[in-house]
Amino acid sequence: MDINVNVKSNVQIKAFYLFYVIVGTQIGVGIMGAPRFIFTEARQDSWVSILIAFVFMSIVVLVMITILKQYENADIFGIQTDVFGKWIGTILGTLYVLYLASSLLSILLTYSQVVKIFLYHTFPNFTLGAMLLFLTIYAVFGGIRVVVGVTFIFFFLTFWLILLFYDPITRMEWTNLLPMFQATVPELLKGARATTYTLAGFEILFLIYPFIQNKEKIKLPALLGLAFTTFILMVTTVISIGYFSHKGLEHVDWSVLILFKSVSLTFFERLDYIVIVEWVMVILPNIVVLMWAITYGVKRLYKVPQRISVYVFSVIFLVIVSFMEYEHHISIITDYVSQVSFWIIFVYPLILFPLVIIKKKWRKNKGSAAK
Amino acid sequence: MRRRHGSKNKKDSIFPITIDELEKTLSSKFENNPDLKFSKYDQQGQKIAVFFIDYQVSSDKLQQALLVPLLGMKKEWTNDSILNEIPINSGTKISSFEDILKKLVIGEVFIYAEGEEEAISYLLLHKESRSLEKAETESLVLGPKISFTESLATNLNIVRWRIKSTDLVLEEFKIGKTMPHDIRLVYMKSIANEEDVNTVRQRLQELDVDEIEDSVVLKQYLEDSQTNLFPQFDHTELPDRFTYAVKKGKIGILVENSPSGFIAPATLYSFLETTEDLYMRWQAGTFLRILRFIAVIFSILVTPMYIAAATYQYTIIPTQILLTIGQSRAAVPFPPIIEALILEFLLELLREAGARLPTKVGQTMGIVGGIVVGTAAVEAGITSNILIIVVAMSALSSFTIPSYLFGTTIRLIRFPMMILAGFLGFLGIIFGICWLIIHLLRLTSLGRPYLVPLYPLKLHDFNKVFFRTPFNYTYNRAQSYRPKDLIRFSKKDATKKRDIDE
Repeated sequence: MDINVNVKSNVQIKAFYLFYVIVGTQIGVGIMGAPRFIFTEARQDSWVSILIAFVFMSIVVLVMITILKQYENADIFGIQTDVFGKWIGTILGTLYVLYLASSLLSILLTYSQVVKIFLYHTFPNFTLGAMLLFLTIYAVFGGIRVVVGVTFIFFFLTFWLILLFYDPITRMEWTNLLPMFQATVPELLKGARATTYTLAGFEILFLIYPFIQNKEKIKLPALLGLAFTTFILMVTTVISIGYFSHKGLEHVDWSVLILFKSVSLTFFERLDYIVIVEWVMVILPNIVVLMWAITYGVKRLYKVPQRISVYVFSVIFLVIVSFMEYEHHISIITDYVSQVSFWIIFVYPLILFPLVIIKKKWRKNKGSAAK
Repeated sequence: MRRRHGSKNKKDSIFPITIDELEKTLSSKFENNPDLKFSKYDQQGQKIAVFFIDYQVSSDKLQQALLVPLLGMKKEWTNDSILNEIPINSGTKISSFEDILKKLVIGEVFIYAEGEEEAISYLLLHKESRSLEKAETESLVLGPKISFTESLATNLNIVRWRIKSTDLVLEEFKIGKTMPHDIRLVYMKSIANEEDVNTVRQRLQELDVDEIEDSVVLKQYLEDSQTNLFPQFDHTELPDRFTYAVKKGKIGILVENSPSGFIAPATLYSFLETTEDLYMRWQAGTFLRILRFIAVIFSILVTPMYIAAATYQYTIIPTQILLTIGQSRAAVPFPPIIEALILEFLLELLREAGARLPTKVGQTMGIVGGIVVGTAAVEAGITSNILIIVVAMSALSSFTIPSYLFGTTIRLIRFPMMILAGFLGFLGIIFGICWLIIHLLRLTSLGRPYLVPLYPLKLHDFNKVFFRTPFNYTYNRAQSYRPKDLIRFSKKDATKKRDIDE
């Protein structure tokens, strides 16, 4: 496998779109239930936890960018092969792809769960999965240009949802956020860790990097993307804490969706139905980017054409989604994904970083010795 | 083309030949066809034949410019003296029999002096065409009213008069193997993107068909993909729209015998623009353009939303309206999807019947259909009167689209959307919208993205596409089409602010 990737100029994208790719991959099903998980750890100081998570996340992203800058035009698969050799590199790459696949699966399952709870109680997983995967296949076949386009267009088509918070904001009890700074440091850190599942998604940088045209400019859009996601998570968490009582929030499963229940306009009595179906547009960029990343990874590792692997993975996902009916199975998968994602996307780059630097130094020495 | 003919010259030359034999050979080709006029003249002992197809040549010109001098001068003719002394230009020598047949058909007159190696042909074309008329399918309130006609020469004349510049190129192509059509590629040499011109040229050259019916058919042959819903080139019968696009660096194509041309590349929004937006003041232009964007979205979504809300998510309807809808639907025995499909079908029938019938009957039909059938349907309890309003609004919105082809696409999209809404409610509608957006993202026109300048984002082009600004802010051409020359006029002069009382 080549370490560096040759990308034709007509499939390259501008660094500017990285903002949308990162936001589109980060914001998905996680945010619907996130406030509860953060709140159970850090109570009314959850917003501090989110800020800690943001700082940590920014450090990780900067480390990722530094790792990528050591190479000419490489992605995670090439870097792993370079650092660990062909065999271990391929195994690690496969694990990475499996992680991406399981997070795609958890998105599909969680959303089908939400549709069952809020919309149609007996809606078959198969139908929902088939429709979402059909859209995904159709988008992935358009290539990276369409995948990025999906994240870009759907960002604007879902942005208006945030305006609907005007109603819960007017109803919230600001004193719920007081007294401030009561949580201990371990509690805050635990709260920060609870954001993992929601904030996962920026690992896409490791895969999309070779496709970026002006690589010198990627820092700003990447960090702005993280900041935007953090902002959204912060807003939803703070509103949830103010809107629900402390005891209530611990027991509310999809707190963010319930926030929309009280929104009412003169021409739309209840907007929560609209919000739940609109969430398809929130998760679609997720699924499309992940599916592209999975098939691209398989292509890099095993030279399987994306045209074939897209179908194969879709069928596998569809079969699994159709048989996973029960909530406890789904929560097991989601928990597992959030556990794994903490290690893979937050910790792993920090481990990889010194190895890449050492390897580079070693190669330099070897090069000068040979001379 | 020319070279190929040159090499054939020697091979199928039938000359020299006696006049009688020539007549026999020709009339064997025109069996049962009384139109070939073959006249033999005896001039000072030399035999001369003049032959042509009767109605393809203008008989006045033939008489005065050709026959009078030919027969009037008492001398012996050779090819050279004919070319020299007959007062018509464009005389050519032709020896290939195939060529003679081809040129006979398009209205050339041939003279053959017995014993010569070649015949001489003159183009004395006579072509019937209608005079210039007002545009029918794309009507404007302001601005020029004429539309293209079926005659390519007239159309070229109009285009040349609208763009008086030596930069304008009208490249000639012939499409169709057995029945060739003249095609003209129209673009501005100093503005149009070279790559785009080459792409169109290549597609035209590689096109391997026996014949084409019309410019709309040629358009479909040249498009990037034929399997999708949306038209990819902009089709127009208005010369001002055509030349406006050409002046902005796009490429126009005119086809012989077709009263419309088409423009490439196009974007989704170019189908929603009219030149009238430019003739209005910029506020009104912006308003109308945004109105049309909303109309398209409205037209696609309003009926499916009614179906979804009335079938599944009726709690989103405010209580008072819900009561009204409930009352009006109480007599209707069908589910909303069937009710809506019936009414939409009825409306499409009315539209199609209106388009097929003669204008006078068509108007009556519209009134009969709209008022009588609509009222009767409500009273008979087939549909609710709320739905009639909904369907009528959706139809009305779809008629605001300036491009007829695009309007048809929008009307077509409504049906799958309605069925999705009938089966899955709002979830179905969202799936439909997502599919449409991905579909549009995948589309290209001449290899350029279909959604530009929205994606890829080109903020500078927004004031040429989504809204209009005063003209001193449109100092650049749209970047989206990558013109060779981006600047129209100096930004500094146009936006210069003078101080008070200066």
